[in-house]
This record gives sequence, C-alpha cells and structure tokens, in this order.
Amino acid sequence: MIIDHPLLGPRDAAEFVYLGDASLIDRPDWQAPDAMEKFHAYGYLRDNPAGEHQELWYHEQGDRSWLVVTRDTVTHTITKVELARDVARGKTKARGRGK
Amino acid sequence: MAEFTLTAAPPLAGHDETFGDTRLHAPQDFAIVSVALPLGGETAAKKAIKTAYGVELPAPGKSVVAKGKERILRLAPDLAFVFFTHAGADAETIVADKLKDKAYLTDQTDVWTALELSGPMARAALERICPLDLYTDAFALNDGARTVMEHLGTIILRTDDDTYLLLSASSSADSFLHAIETSIKNVI
Amino acid sequence: MTQVNRLPGGLVDRSEEVKFQFNDKWMRGYPGDTLASALMANGQLLVGRSFKYHRPRGVFTAGSEEPNALVQLRRRAEQEPNTRATMIELFEGLYATSQNHRGSLEFDLLAINDFFAPFLSAGFYYKTFMWPKAFWEKLYEPIIRSAAGLGRLSMKEDPDSYDKGFLHCDLLVIGAGPAGLAAALTAGRSGARVILADEDFRPGGRLNAETLELGGMAGHAWAEEAVKELAEMDNVRLMSRTTVYGAYDHGIYGVLERCTDHLRDSNGKPRQILWRIYSKRAVLAAGATERPIAFGNNDRPGILLAGAMRAYANRYAVAPGKQIAVFTNNDDGWRTAADLYAKGVEITTVVDSRDKPALLNIPGARHFGGQAVMDTVGRAGMKSIQLTNGQVIPCDGLAVSGGWNPNVHLTCHQRGRPEWREDLCAFVPGSDLPPGMVVAGAANGAMTLAAALSEGAVKASAQLEDLGIKPKGGEMPQAEDEPRDCAAFWHVKQSKNRAWVDLQNDVTVKDVKLANTEGFRSVELLKRYTTMGMATDQGKTSNIAGLAILAEEAGKTIPEVGTTIFRPPYTPVPLGALAGRARGKDFRPYRLTPSHKWTEENGASFVTVGNWLRAEWYTQPGEKGWRDSVDREVLQTRKSVGICDVTTLGKIDIQGKDAGAFLDMVYANTFSTLKVGRVRYGLMLREDGICYDDGTTARMGEDHYVMTTTTANAVLVFRRMEFVRQCLCPDMDVHLISTTDGWAQFAVAGPKSRDLLRKVIDRDHDISNDAFPFMACGHVTVCGGTPARLFRISFSGELAFEIAVPARYGNSMMAVLNEAGKEFDAVPYGTEALGVMRIEKGHCTGNELNGQTTAHNIGLGKMVSQKKACIGNVLSQRPEMIREDAVRLVGFRPVDRSRKLIAGSHFITKGDTASMANDQGWMTSVAYSPNLGYSIGLGFLKEGQNRMGEIVRAVSPIHNTEMEVEVVSPHFIDPEGERLRG
Repeated sequence: MIIDHPLLGPRDAAEFVYLGDASLIDRPDWQAPDAMEKFHAYGYLRDNPAGEHQELWYHEQGDRSWLVVTRDTVTHTITKVELARDVARGKTKARGRGK
Repeated sequence: MAEFTLTAAPPLAGHDETFGDTRLHAPQDFAIVSVALPLGGETAAKKAIKTAYGVELPAPGKSVVAKGKERILRLAPDLAFVFFTHAGADAETIVADKLKDKAYLTDQTDVWTALELSGPMARAALERICPLDLYTDAFALNDGARTVMEHLGTIILRTDDDTYLLLSASSSADSFLHAIETSIKNVI
Repeated sequence: MTQVNRLPGGLVDRSEEVKFQFNDKWMRGYPGDTLASALMANGQLLVGRSFKYHRPRGVFTAGSEEPNALVQLRRRAEQEPNTRATMIELFEGLYATSQNHRGSLEFDLLAINDFFAPFLSAGFYYKTFMWPKAFWEKLYEPIIRSAAGLGRLSMKEDPDSYDKGFLHCDLLVIGAGPAGLAAALTAGRSGARVILADEDFRPGGRLNAETLELGGMAGHAWAEEAVKELAEMDNVRLMSRTTVYGAYDHGIYGVLERCTDHLRDSNGKPRQILWRIYSKRAVLAAGATERPIAFGNNDRPGILLAGAMRAYANRYAVAPGKQIAVFTNNDDGWRTAADLYAKGVEITTVVDSRDKPALLNIPGARHFGGQAVMDTVGRAGMKSIQLTNGQVIPCDGLAVSGGWNPNVHLTCHQRGRPEWREDLCAFVPGSDLPPGMVVAGAANGAMTLAAALSEGAVKASAQLEDLGIKPKGGEMPQAEDEPRDCAAFWHVKQSKNRAWVDLQNDVTVKDVKLANTEGFRSVELLKRYTTMGMATDQGKTSNIAGLAILAEEAGKTIPEVGTTIFRPPYTPVPLGALAGRARGKDFRPYRLTPSHKWTEENGASFVTVGNWLRAEWYTQPGEKGWRDSVDREVLQTRKSVGICDVTTLGKIDIQGKDAGAFLDMVYANTFSTLKVGRVRYGLMLREDGICYDDGTTARMGEDHYVMTTTTANAVLVFRRMEFVRQCLCPDMDVHLISTTDGWAQFAVAGPKSRDLLRKVIDRDHDISNDAFPFMACGHVTVCGGTPARLFRISFSGELAFEIAVPARYGNSMMAVLNEAGKEFDAVPYGTEALGVMRIEKGHCTGNELNGQTTAHNIGLGKMVSQKKACIGNVLSQRPEMIREDAVRLVGFRPVDRSRKLIAGSHFITKGDTASMANDQGWMTSVAYSPNLGYSIGLGFLKEGQNRMGEIVRAVSPIHNTEMEVEVVSPHFIDPEGERLRG
C-alpha cells in the first residue's frame, strides 16, 4: 500500500505503523459522571466496517506524524489523508464552540 | 589537570573507501542539533533562524545551506536538524548561542552516524535498499527524507548530483555500513 | 550425441558451440538455445517422469507455462529442483538431471504406478488408504511421502546471494511482445519514465517465434530494432529475464529479476533480485498461452503444443522429429504446419476438428476435416496416431492446438474476474482490473499481430494522457491480421485410453468427470478434489480445458461454471529471493553499546536484548561457570562498587512549556510538581489500567525533562507519547526526540560509588550526600570538561549513580571508570548481576510488568493519581482490578534453603490439590542470591501482602516438581532503603 502523506507525498505503507480506528482521538472526559462506561467503550468497542474506515497510522520511519487515513477496507482505496494533530485540534475547537 | 582523559571514538570515524569512482566515507566532525519550534512561537523561531543563518527555514522534506555552510533540514512541521562541522561535544551550545531561547534544542550528534555516498553508482546502490524515488525530478538537490533501509531508520539527503548523505542510528552503525557496502558491491 | 533434430536458420548463434550435460551425458547446443531446445536438438525427447503415474514425459511448451520438462539444474549445493527446461538458457558446462524417477529415467521403477492407475484416481488418498486405520501413519503415509514430490533439495545452504530493490516509474509495461514493445515505444518516445519487464532473455515475445512481418521487416528484426531504440532512452529501463509475478495495492508490482541464472557462476553477485516496482500506471501485455486438446495418451514425448513446436522451429531451429502431424481446432494450428514445412520438415497430416476445407496448402500433408486424434502409440516417443475415423498415421511428432488463452493472471490479483468471450473460446480480462492497469494485445484478446501492435500503442497513449503526459510516436508499422478462427473443442470423447488435462499433476478427463459424479461441481472444489491446476505451473495449460469438461458434464455453459481466479505469484518465486539479504547474521541489524569494544576486550559474554548486544557477565580467570562470575560481580558491587553499561534504556528528551502537564498525562503519577534537579520513578499504564512501562524521569530544567524507558519498550513508549502529543494533547507545547544512542550511560553502584565518581567528575561539582542527595540530577563535567549528566538513582538498592557522557566517549569512559575504580576493586557487571541485584531489592522488570498486571498487583496502586487526567487511571479503578484479594507482588524463599526456585511455578495453599481451581499465583523471577546464600524469588500471590511468613507450595507441572516456599517481603536486601540514601 501507499499512503499519500499530506506533507511528504506518497510513501510506502512499510514506513508506517497501524494503530486502529481514528475514534481513539475522541478520548472521553475522565471527570464525566459516566467516565467508566465511556472509557470502556473507548477502549474496547470498535466498528468493523467493510468499506470506508477512518484509521490512525503513525509515520514511524518518517516524520513521526500520526495520520488519519480514510481507507476502504475492502478495496484498500485511500480517499483522504490528514495530519491527526489537525484533526484533533479541529475537534478541540469544535468542543470549545459547543460550550 | 584531570587525572583521567576521555578520547572520542565515534563509530565509523575515518571510514573512507572507494569502489571504482564511487566513494563511501564518514564525514569528519559532523555535528547535528535538533531544533523544535515552540507551539505559538513558530514565527519567532523562524525569525531567529533567519537572523542566525541568513536563510528561511525550508518546507518539510527540504534542506537549505546557510551562509556559514550549515545545512538546515526540515523534518516535520515543528522539527528541523542543523548540520555543521564541529569537533567538540558542545554543538548544542553553539546553536543555542545563535538562536537564543527561541527554539528547543537537543544535541543529536552522537545519536546518529553519517555516511556520504557519492559517485556514478550511488543511485543504483541506493535502489537496492531505499524505498524512496531518488530520480532527479522526484528527489531534487537538497531534498531530504527520513525512511527505512534494511530495517534501519535512515535520513537521506541529496547534497549534490550524485552525492547522498545518509544518517542512521549510531548504535547500529556496523549494520548500517554493512548494508550500504553490500548495496554498492552488488551493483558495481 | 549430435544435433540430429537441428533445422536451418533460427535465432541461435551457430558461430560457437555450447557443451552441456544431461543425466551425465555430454551434449552440444548453441548460444540462444534453452535447455529444452538443446535437448530436442540432440534427440533427447524424454526429459522426465510425471508426478503421480511416473509416465515418460517430454518438453510440451516453449515458455514459463511448461508442465512437463522440470529438471534439477546444477549440482551439489547449487542444485535447484523443478526448474523449467524451457526457461533455462544454455550455458557452457550446464549440468542438469531429470527428476521424479527411481532408477534411471528410461527404466523408472515407480512407473508401476501407471499400472495401478485405476486405484489412483482423484481422491484416492481418501478412498484407498482407509483400512486398517493403524496403517495410515506407519505404512501408507511414509510410502506416499517418499514417492511424492518432484525434485529433491540439496539440503545444503544456498551458496548464492539474493538482493531486493525498489524502482519507480510512470508506466510499467509487462511483457515485451508486440503489444508491450508498442506500448513501451509510445511511452518512451513521449518522455515518460518507463520500465519494460519481460520474462524471456530475448525481448520480442511471439515475434521471435513467428514468421510474421512488420512493415516488410521480419518480426524478430523489428523487435531487435525496437529494443535498440528503447535501450538508448534514458527514461526507459529494459528488464529482460524479469517476471512481474504479482499486482499489489496502489500500483505496486512484485518483480523477480534473474541476474545470473544464465551464467555458469554468479561471481559473487546476487543471483536474483526481488524488485518492488512503484508504478503510476501499468500496461499488462503478457500475451496468451496455448492450450492442448485432451485425447488418449496425449502426454507422450514428442507431443507439443503447436505454437511451441513453431517456436522451436523458427526461433531455435529444432523439431522434435522428422515426420510431424498437426491436430488443431483453430486456424493458428495451420501455421505450425506451414512454418515447419518451410523449414524442410515433413508434415504427414493436418487433423482439424472443424469440418471445413484446408486453410493452407501443405504439400505432402493429408488433411482430415471434422476428425480428431483419438489415441497415440509409442512409449518414450511417438510412433503413430489413431484418428477418430480409424486411420492410423505414422509420425514421430505431434503438434496440438486447442486455441489460446489470454494471460489474465495479473488482472485477477485484486479479485478481478475474467469474462468469457465466445468468439475466442477463452476468458479475457474483466472490467474490474487492478487500479492503474490496462491490458493490451493477446492478453486482452487482441489476438492478431496488427491488433496487438495498435492496442499496445493506443492503451499506452491513454495511460500517458491520464498522467498528463502528451503521447507521441505511437505510429506502428503495417502488420497483418492473421486468421484466428477457433472452435470450442476440448477433448476427444471417443478416446478410450486416459486423456490428460493437467500434465503436471497427472489429472485426466476421467478424474474431472469423477469429480462431477461425486458432487465436486464448483470449479473451486474441482480444483481441490482433483488437484488440477495446483502444481508449480498453476494449471496454465490445463485449467480451461478442465472447467470446459466440467461444464459439459454438468450440462452448463463455461460462463455458468465460471473460472477460478489467480493469486500471486505468476510463476514460482524462490524462497531465497523472498528472503533477500535477511539470512544468517544479516537477518536483522544489531546494536552495540558505546562500551562494546572495552567490554569485548575484558572477557564479557554477550546476550541479545532486542537488537542490542549486552554484556551478561565478565569471566575472570579461574571461574568455572557463569554463576561464579555473576556471584562475584554481585558481591563485589554490594561490598565496594560495580559498573554497568545501561545505555540501552530508552532516553527521550522532552521539552516545552507544557512538558510537565504532558508527563502528567502519560504517567500514572505526577511530574509537573517535580523540582528542577530531581528525578522521580514513573509508572505508565495502558488505557485499560494494566501496567505498560516504568522508568525514571529527570527534570533538567524548567521546560526540560529527560525520560528513561525500559530497553524493550523504548520504541513503543516513544510512539505512544507521540500519539498522546498529537492526538490527545494537540494544543500542548511539548516536543519529543530520542537520545537513546546519544548518551553512553553507566550505572556506578555500591558503597564506594561516590568515591569512585569523585575521581572522574571535575572537582567543582559537589556530589556529597547533602549537595547531591538520593534522586538528584544535574549537569556535570568529567575528566577535565567533558559535559556529562549525573543521576542519583539506584536499581541495585545500593548507593548508586548513573552517569551519562556523549556516546563517542562511552568506550573511553568505561575504561576510565574501571581504571579509577582499581583502588576499590571495582568490577564491571553484566545483565545477570543486574538481574540478581534487582530481585534482591524487589524491583520490577518485564517479568512482573508482563501485560497482565496492574499497579495494584505490584503494590503501587496508590501511585495512580485520581486527581488528574492520565492514561489508564479511569479503567484501573474497575472493581475487578482493585480487589482486596488480588494477587500482590511478594518475595519467596525455599523452606529447604538448598533448593532452587523455579520461575513459572504456581502457588498452591498447603493442603490443597494442585489444580487450576486452587491456583494462588505464580513465581515471576528467581535468582541465587550470593548475599543470602540461597535461592530467592519474586512472584504474585493472592492477598500476598497479608500472608507474610506463610508456607505455600510452589508447583511446576512442566518440570514435574514442587517445593515448599515461605512468603517474605520482596525487599530481600536493605528493606529500609538506608543504603541508597547513604
């Protein structure tokens, strides 16, 4: 596979390490009243779609960036690659606005 | 006068061998300092770099040669390496004097071992271990990248038409040298 | 032997002769021959025995699809079994032997299997060897195993080397036949970066095997010109002897280049290279493979595919005999008759299954329309054929053509399904091709020369336009659209004798019918039940006929039955090539500690820890075993001072205004409150609350921490910290960089450690207990100004320091510390002594933090802060994980002090039976303590903290032992910690 790094261009997937579902970015609030249930879901419950999937890849043999890769698990077609830090910042901002 | 003295013995120091017109050697006194740009302080850090070295911090994957022959390689949005020739164990101090406190510095000199591969067979040899496209248009002069060669994390920089600077972890210097030497021997 | 079957002309170089040996017989051929053509030239038609029935077999094809002519090439360690004679280029001194016979090739003792054929039909394993049951393992299986298989391995280490490599291109062209050459020329002339890969040693494909002309030029001559033009282009890389064996994701192709297989000697160069080609676009121009027709005894030496016989005549200038018959169901077969006749070979007969007039006039040949060959006579060669009309016609060679199958293999590698084309009686590539790939020429069903040429150019142009490259130079010379009519005709129903479908796995028409009768009616089941298509040739010549017969039997059409699809590799790839350089000590890189040289010179024995080589102990003269060395190192360290290289621990430099807050998130305990100049032990949890890693982190400055990790987890901890930094705390100002290799770090431990260090650390640094107490850290200089870092931390439980210098001084520093330590009888110590001392002190390592244990289990439950966000603190509080009766880390000693504890033993309460239900925990680490004079251990015991002094049983069913042990504090030495604070 080839991952088209948003800054560095196409790189062989061998340079990357796979982690899993990009929902791992959405870490629950440890002080929430139902924190235990939320962390349980965060830690253990995953969707396993046959089709489009957002997932985390780490460019370990590269610039050490974490990426959010949108990949079709059936065809391996990759439609989007983003810096996870940007995605995470976007979510923090969105949460900030919500308050 | 101290009772004991320490002698420096970096791995691969003095290594220099030729294979026809192709040469593999370890550059002498090759100092490396990492420069991390503070979050929110990027502009100040870039300005400090410009003032100190007379060049703009290049884009990730690119390097630039400064007025004092230092080479600055941007590895990631918030990380660059400065390469320069310096013998002492105080490379970080030298960069710190230039950049003041505008960036976070870490001496990386002894973390890495450097080999310069040059000559007509350099690219053919690298084809055997480097997954990157090193074709002239794809990996231009002063381009740099971090990748993996023979299981070893490696930074590769194109410093001239047929010249590549290769950096890998100093602890695995023997394996690194062996990998490059084998590649050269397999193509000449 | 002389070259009795050599014809005039051809593309072999007659200016020199090449001598070679087959079954120890010397023969001669020419440069440009394959082993197959040279054997044929020498009249050696019998080249091997078949897999199951040990039938005599000869060369059947002229390419990589060869099912029969498998030989063992070379000898001794270089010997390579199952090598296709059709792909071996002849070289001086070549040595080959036939395989799969007991006794000589001519008189194979196992040919008796042929007489037992009625018992050896499809599925015979399951039917014949049923009874008695006990015979299977003892008798049947050993016999079958010894009889099965084709070639033999040398069982010696492969003396050749292999390499791997990476190539990049705009357009990968697979196959250098007319379509491939047209595609490569178009792309090359347009300035695209092109790789043209072809499995043959002579590019040109069928142009080299035919007498067709292009623009008034002989086909092979045009191919030569085209190759010359391509070779002169800097943007084109020509790779002959190179097979594209797999089409992988995102335009990546797996490619095998055979570099020295055609040479007598590799001369130290890699024999083969496994390339990974990254292509933006690809043109598959893999051509087509001819298929046979099944009829009685259709497997004799001398029976060849018609196109192959034509290739041998035209390219290699050989024929398998003097009187040739042709059997065809299509127009193309007629070309064989014409071309061989033109070479002066007598054509006795052309048998055409189609009832229509002769396509060509072949002088002297009788034409039988609407007839078929029903049987053949001969043994190791051909004598005659018998037609369906009863006619018997003498001949010593038979050319068979059942039509051509496009080579769709690579189009299927991403689950593409070929589609049936009635007019060709063949499957062609479907529409679901691997992204970036197009198919051109015969591989796409464009079967004539003119069509192949034009399709190659047109498809390449479209690919270039896709890439934004303007195509130019796609005009190809004039060529003909030769007649290609073909009738669906798969096997001769009138044949009474066995008719082979899969020659390599000995599958007959009857086997296919049997599969249908017994209910194995899908193609996938047919394949597995009969083994059709499962040999090294993957059924290239047999699959279609097999499923056509199945369709006929089942009363379905071929598209209804469908086809199996193909997986990589297209042709076999040697394991040596897949391994590349990764063998022996080059299997993986190794890492050396900075003091490696000194360590080696001073009697160390090394152990592999991850990729690191670490000293496990240092042997002194007179020491009889490792225990002597380890005991001495431990005792001397605790008595005076010991020195150990601990560089392998991961070191991570952490800087930024939010570094403290970041560490609070990463560690279970708090670091933002740590004072500058102090070190703290830190425990990391996984998000599920299980212990992950531990180490010490020093605060070197307001915004600067230095973390150590365990050796094993250095990379993983860094990865996770980057995850936290980028994904969980993206707005923190914090930066990470590894400095593991940058600092040579040494533990200096023991009551004399401060005295020793005072001799090395420059005098202006005060390291007294007041100025530099336990858990202090700071910058110092050593040996007259060399910068260093000093940490007052202790793994051994003694007064101890760790001192770090830039790695370049590491070897020298080790020597200096030992030299300076001479007056204290300082010892260097290795990982074993380190392990003994940490067990004596009750410190955890990977044995205890094994991915199953919590902070609560190791007695550090209180360390997990509930006052801040951090990884793992929420789930660590799940009731099951903080049970009062959970296992807890405690120490153990044997009641009988002379006994040796065994790690991995499980604890059972006295009086209970040793069963899983009564399991009370397990022993994690054991060591002989030279200070105490007996074996000690650490382990997890249910409610261990409340069971001090209790005697439990340590049971090891694996060792079949058990012993009584006493539960004690895990701190065997200095439980109050007075020494390390001294």
